[in-house]
Amino acid sequence: MTITAPRIGAALDRVEAPLKVTGAALYPNDVSYPGLAHAAPVRATIAAGRVTAIDTAEARAAEGVIAVVTALDAPRLRRGPVTLLGISPPAPLQDDRILHYGQYVAVVVADTAEQARHAASLVAVEYAEDVPMLDIGDPRAEVEDDPWGMDVDRGDLEAGLAEADVVIDETYATPDNTNNPLGLMSTVAVWHGDGSLTVHDATQWPHGVRMSLAETFGVPESRIRVLAPYVGGGFGAGLRAWQHVILAVLAARETGRPVKLVLTRPEMFTGVGYRPESIQRIRIGATRDGRLTALAHEAIAPVALEDDNFEAVSHTSARAYACPNVMTRDRQVRLNIPCPGSMRAPTEAQGNFALESAMDELAVDLGIDPLDLRLRNFAGTDPLTGLPWSSNALRECFARGAELFGWSRRTPEPGSMRDGHWRVGYGLAGASYPPYQVPCQARASLQHDGSAFVRSAATDIGTGTYTVMTQLAAELLGLDVARVRFDLGDTDMPYSPQAGGSGLTGALGNAVRSACRQLLQAFLDVVADDPESPLRGLTLDEVEAGGGGIHRAGDPGSGEAYTAILARHDLAELSADGRSTPPTPDTTAWAGAFGARFVEVRVDADLGVIRVARVVSVIDGGRVLNAKTATSQIVGGTVGGIGQALFEETVTDEGTGRIANATFGDYLIPVNADVPDMEVVFVGGPDTATPLGTKGVGEIGLVGIAAAVANAVHHATGRRLRSLPLTLDALL
Amino acid sequence: MKTREEALSRLGASVGVEFGVNGVRRRVGVEGRVTLLDWLRDELGLTGVKKGCDQGACGACTVLVDGKRVVACLMLVAQCDGREVTTVEGVAGVGEAGAVQDAFVRHDAFQCGYCTPGQIMSAIALIGEGRAGTREEIAEFMSGNLCRCGAYPRIRDAIVDAAGGEVG
Repeated sequence: MTITAPRIGAALDRVEAPLKVTGAALYPNDVSYPGLAHAAPVRATIAAGRVTAIDTAEARAAEGVIAVVTALDAPRLRRGPVTLLGISPPAPLQDDRILHYGQYVAVVVADTAEQARHAASLVAVEYAEDVPMLDIGDPRAEVEDDPWGMDVDRGDLEAGLAEADVVIDETYATPDNTNNPLGLMSTVAVWHGDGSLTVHDATQWPHGVRMSLAETFGVPESRIRVLAPYVGGGFGAGLRAWQHVILAVLAARETGRPVKLVLTRPEMFTGVGYRPESIQRIRIGATRDGRLTALAHEAIAPVALEDDNFEAVSHTSARAYACPNVMTRDRQVRLNIPCPGSMRAPTEAQGNFALESAMDELAVDLGIDPLDLRLRNFAGTDPLTGLPWSSNALRECFARGAELFGWSRRTPEPGSMRDGHWRVGYGLAGASYPPYQVPCQARASLQHDGSAFVRSAATDIGTGTYTVMTQLAAELLGLDVARVRFDLGDTDMPYSPQAGGSGLTGALGNAVRSACRQLLQAFLDVVADDPESPLRGLTLDEVEAGGGGIHRAGDPGSGEAYTAILARHDLAELSADGRSTPPTPDTTAWAGAFGARFVEVRVDADLGVIRVARVVSVIDGGRVLNAKTATSQIVGGTVGGIGQALFEETVTDEGTGRIANATFGDYLIPVNADVPDMEVVFVGGPDTATPLGTKGVGEIGLVGIAAAVANAVHHATGRRLRSLPLTLDALL
Repeated sequence: MKTREEALSRLGASVGVEFGVNGVRRRVGVEGRVTLLDWLRDELGLTGVKKGCDQGACGACTVLVDGKRVVACLMLVAQCDGREVTTVEGVAGVGEAGAVQDAFVRHDAFQCGYCTPGQIMSAIALIGEGRAGTREEIAEFMSGNLCRCGAYPRIRDAIVDAAGGEVG
């Protein structure tokens, strides 16, 4: 079987679009049940200490209240399992210790949401308060070096610095950012009479939630069904079975009622992860002609006291450039803070800002064009392994981007470009996002009417999974897309990993590909001895799918329709399972996505207001399954990058650990008028590491924007800002 | 001055209201504290009206009240007496509204889709108000509708298209 796949797939409209534009798509918090009760959590108002008393009398007496469960009387629950994403969050309400502001100390269940929220406000909690550790430099805090064993030492750093003509040694800072998907994280939990459990949850990983709930509540996974057909964004906030999910399931068990729990926006700042702050020191040594001789990237970031978060901020720097002497270091500091978690482009978002800012500083010091500096140090092979990349079109990204952006019009002197009262700056950054794939399964069925049903328990958090998998299955089975239904978001379907790490399209796409090929094989098996079939005795390599059936490769006239085979053999349908495993190329280095980001900023000469005026992004995304949805991923990631660059900072009150700006009125994210029109182009070809040839594009779109904006601000003003977000007060 | 309990008991008290929702007259008794957003979602099942912040900051719950854009989380049902409320369910596939929705689909003006009903209601009102003349104007008047997926440029494309303009 041969597939002549286009490099850029058709720009098919999203298959679920009609439901989304009419308000008919049902997100988890749109689900209701007869007798539905509502839960509201009570959160700690201190960051460290103990609960000494909880008075629930007034809450219990309030109208409509069914139950109040507190940290002092909750049933014992087991902590969820270690999964491929690491440990599960601690089960809630299990003891009297307070480890962070916003920790759940009780949950109230009532007939209506208003009654539950009101009664929650009546729960009186008394604390014995300790002095919380909130600062990354707190001497009391436990520090862990190299938490993931990923620190890199290559060559001789000190020798590399010694031989350099120029050395950059600067420290960069990024703040806490909060994911803030528009959809409030919500769980609806229903225990059935047979002891089984149905949960509608705004998760990026239904099977992960199922695993956690099974362990926590002691129920076999097979009796738990988790549903998430639509999720109002996630950006990492939906990767784990967070404590509110457990609270909702617990509340349903305690009351015997279906229970809905919808987090408030302020609760979204303390209960579902966030991008942790970082402090990063970068040292780069280079020769006068711009060859890197040494690169050191040392990062420190906080983590919660009794939880983990993978955030290897410095690691990608070890693969970024051809440099013989490299050191990367990561450290984590345990503080009294809500647990950080993945937020779109975790680690890269912070690490790339520091590295690509430092490269710009080096270019300025050397008097070399920042574009040339990057090309001179292009890593033609993987610096970590020395192997050739499975694919890498980064140079093409830079070349094409420079041309589209008009980089040659840039005059190098900072402050040299103006347009009226606007100072104009051009900045660029290189970007990469590492490859990631974990095992995934899918199932494909061909119905007697010749239509196909393909499914896997994945989620589509807006990335286009429904659409690209429909297209892919249609192509592989030789059907019109209108004859294919792809469904997801249900743990009764085959196992899928999370939508996250830019890993789902590769994992799921290769599983769908496998299922479709197995399905073709199943048809060939059925007709193997069928004298009436022109396909009799043929192998998978000798046929192609097309026109609603299977035919000899290169001979569309010699074959037959699926419907004919099914009818002749009295089959209502044929199904096949497929699975994918991560690639393990041994002659190439598995490459992720690459990109070049070009940004024009305008800075008000008097007021310091920074506006992003133009963005050109050229991305090596491997094989692109759908030009429209892939472009939207890059556009959206870029908007996230503009937020990181100019607006986003979660502020924690120094004394109490309270989040001081936990609303959309105070935590600023880009609005329509903050975002310019932008150009997105894909270059490169299918990646050679997997049969499908895709690369994840969900995160690369955010990477590099903050650095490109900061570099453009320097070009516009001569001011180097090393701390995000870049705000006008820093320019005054 | 009223006590807290007195104030709260008044909030929980039932209020009689008569108003229209998507062309259907409704006569209801409702707690004074219930927002239009929660009531539309929980009582009428109009879950196309989304809750993104409950604080009037994100625009996901945008509906039309007497033809004007309103964030339903900041309006109480008790304030709706005599008014006509239109939600995304009330404009589905009808005239200009259908054109806006089609344009959103064509231009991929959403990703997760959660903010989309609010964006569409704002877009319909914007075009109706004659405020969709330029991309700059659209950007300004659509800035009350947050989209965390970052579809803003494509939302502008869709509105320009639906308003009969040339998409740049």
